[in-house]
Amino acid sequence: MDSQTQNTSLQRLQNVEKRIVKVLELAGSVMDELANPTGPRREAINNHVREFMQLIKDIQVALRDEIKSACDYRPFEKCDYSSRIANEICCKKLEYVMSQLDGMKETIDDYHTAV
Amino acid sequence: MDGKLEISLDKLPIKRLEVIEENGLERFPPDVGYEEKRESLIRRIDFAWAVEKDDKNNKQKKRSRETSAAQWEFQSMVDNLQLAHQELSVIIDLINTVEANDAVTVASMTRPRPFPNEALSDLAVSAATKLQCFRHLGKYFKQSANALEQQMAREARFYGALIRLQQNWKVKRQRAVALASGNEGFTIDLFDNSLYDPAGIFRPSPLSTVCVDHDSAGMLAINLPPKSYHSLQFGFLSAYTDDMPIDSSKTKTQSACDADKESVSDDECVKETHSLLREVHQAIFSEQVFDLVNREACNQSLGVTVTGIQENYIQLNIGQETSVFISLVPTSQGEETVDSSSTQNLENAILPLDTLDGLNLPEDKPDTPKKKSVIPNQISCEIYLLQIFHQHVFLKAKDRPTSGGGVSGQPAKEGSGLLGHFCMSLAHRIFSNKVLMELENVVRGVPYMQLTSHPTWHSRTSSWTLFVKIPQSILHACQTRASDSHHRKHVTKSQFHTKVVVTDDCINVEGEGAPNVVGLFKGTSQEICSMNRYDCDLADLSVIILQQVASQVIRWLHEEALMVGIKANWDFLCLSFELEQGETLSLVAHVDPEDTEGCISWWLVMEDGFVEERKLSLDISDGASESRKFLGHLSLEVLYSTMMDLVGLCNGGGN
Repeated sequence: MDSQTQNTSLQRLQNVEKRIVKVLELAGSVMDELANPTGPRREAINNHVREFMQLIKDIQVALRDEIKSACDYRPFEKCDYSSRIANEICCKKLEYVMSQLDGMKETIDDYHTAV
Repeated sequence: MDGKLEISLDKLPIKRLEVIEENGLERFPPDVGYEEKRESLIRRIDFAWAVEKDDKNNKQKKRSRETSAAQWEFQSMVDNLQLAHQELSVIIDLINTVEANDAVTVASMTRPRPFPNEALSDLAVSAATKLQCFRHLGKYFKQSANALEQQMAREARFYGALIRLQQNWKVKRQRAVALASGNEGFTIDLFDNSLYDPAGIFRPSPLSTVCVDHDSAGMLAINLPPKSYHSLQFGFLSAYTDDMPIDSSKTKTQSACDADKESVSDDECVKETHSLLREVHQAIFSEQVFDLVNREACNQSLGVTVTGIQENYIQLNIGQETSVFISLVPTSQGEETVDSSSTQNLENAILPLDTLDGLNLPEDKPDTPKKKSVIPNQISCEIYLLQIFHQHVFLKAKDRPTSGGGVSGQPAKEGSGLLGHFCMSLAHRIFSNKVLMELENVVRGVPYMQLTSHPTWHSRTSSWTLFVKIPQSILHACQTRASDSHHRKHVTKSQFHTKVVVTDDCINVEGEGAPNVVGLFKGTSQEICSMNRYDCDLADLSVIILQQVASQVIRWLHEEALMVGIKANWDFLCLSFELEQGETLSLVAHVDPEDTEGCISWWLVMEDGFVEERKLSLDISDGASESRKFLGHLSLEVLYSTMMDLVGLCNGGGN
């Protein structure tokens, strides 16, 4: 999976977690509503419960999709560590070349100021 | 006692269950015998009516006068009162027993029927309790939601960072570790197991597995003890280099990690961790390279002489006078050090690596005050060491592709010869620096010479070319003259070149226009020479180059003279014209690399008719002598015009 879809999948799972939190909050407010000393308001409870069920359904759908689309765990087939080392060596060369060029530039500047 | 004695008999024997088991099996008590039955039946005679009657008599002595017709109306009240009385007596007995501290078990109690208001208040209490439970539940749910949200936020940071790291590094998880240590058990594996390593050279070091921890805020953090990993360092041990061994990895400043964590964004935190992992990865590679260097050094390979070994330190001899060391130094993180490499470069000779050859070094007239050293730069050697090991050992272990890197054209090295090759490359580099110094001296001394370096793409070969360019004014004059004369086929050369190639420590000079050595000894006149090449030593290099160049100039003058139609003889460094009466006028070149005013000077020699050996060089500088006149260090234009004057002299004399 390239990084793009990987981020989206992570985002989807994070959304699932947010929904779970919302579900808990709804349960809490339903309980509060039921604990109302003047008796629960029916409409409010209905709304809450409807939203609860909808969210549970969404969670289930999302999780099922993610489980189906999760790829098999493969061991690290293409290890790029030696290319990484080659890269590091190239970085060192670059730094060295830059320092050389800076030295040359200083020499040129010295020459010009001397002239 | 009056009244009849009533006996009640059960019509049916009642069999009481003793035990009923789980599977429904019923157990009855064992049958009793006939005698026991009779006894139990007798015991069962109910004398309760007598007790009742007594009670009734006691209570109703006052009410016994009431009408017996009304007795059945109050029967239920009477029954209730009797029951109440029984209960009261039981309770009084109970209280007495408890007061006497006896253990009491209540066999049974019949519950009185509750009144409506009692029932209602019971209901109200249970309803209130339920509401309370609901409120508690509601609070509990909301608290859980809050806690879950916070936990989610923390984990989102952690896993977001982990996923970003996973794009570059191998992240592994062990659940056993997770259970034991309390964090999630993630580790980052820095070991490259894709290398084909039959000899078991590459082993995972303890550095290869990095544990992923949490910092105080729950964010991903990697805790490594300071100075736990090393980096490779290369240096020269010589008296006249004042290089400070510097750590090439210190250019990065890691101050962000030490600053307060709250002000550092997640992005920077991930970048810091990534940099740290990069450093550890490089450190693992450095350790492997050092290990290989040690192995090769101890295997007595060609060109390597080990002069000292310590832990994490090895010292080698390169050539006769240079010593180098390779060591592993602990890398310190979080320290800012001044990058001293830039100041260092100004002190040493900036000699390009193979990849940087091809710089055209124009002739620089003003005296450079810097004292040049022949030792190549430390950092470049260090990088070269890492590169050749990486290319030939690691990539070879991976079945490297056929297209080589920047070091293509280099013959494939066995793993065992790499250190030898490296040392020989260094020796070559030092030697070619010396050669270059000589060449630069020569070029500085001759105004019409130029020096060019050539890339050879081989670390043990260097190549330069020296040019002598004929100035444009003379070229024009030549061309006008050539159109007049009959020598059409003569092509005027505008430059002569001499090529110097150094392989390991052998110098090879190749140039045109030089007579071969055989012709030199024969003393005969010129032979048409093509390219000649010969080897020489460092000490003789300057002289040979100067002689080569001077002979090229002489040859050119000779051809110019021929073009004009004058018969002239050319012999190595001497161009002679014949005057009348057998006198010869010679233009002789004298080379001296130590001469500060110029390396090539010219003499005019007049000789009598008898044959003499040609003088190659003149040591006497008395210009007042009739036979020799010192002309000085002439430029090519002046030389040319001098020659033309001589030609005119010959012409005038001949005519």
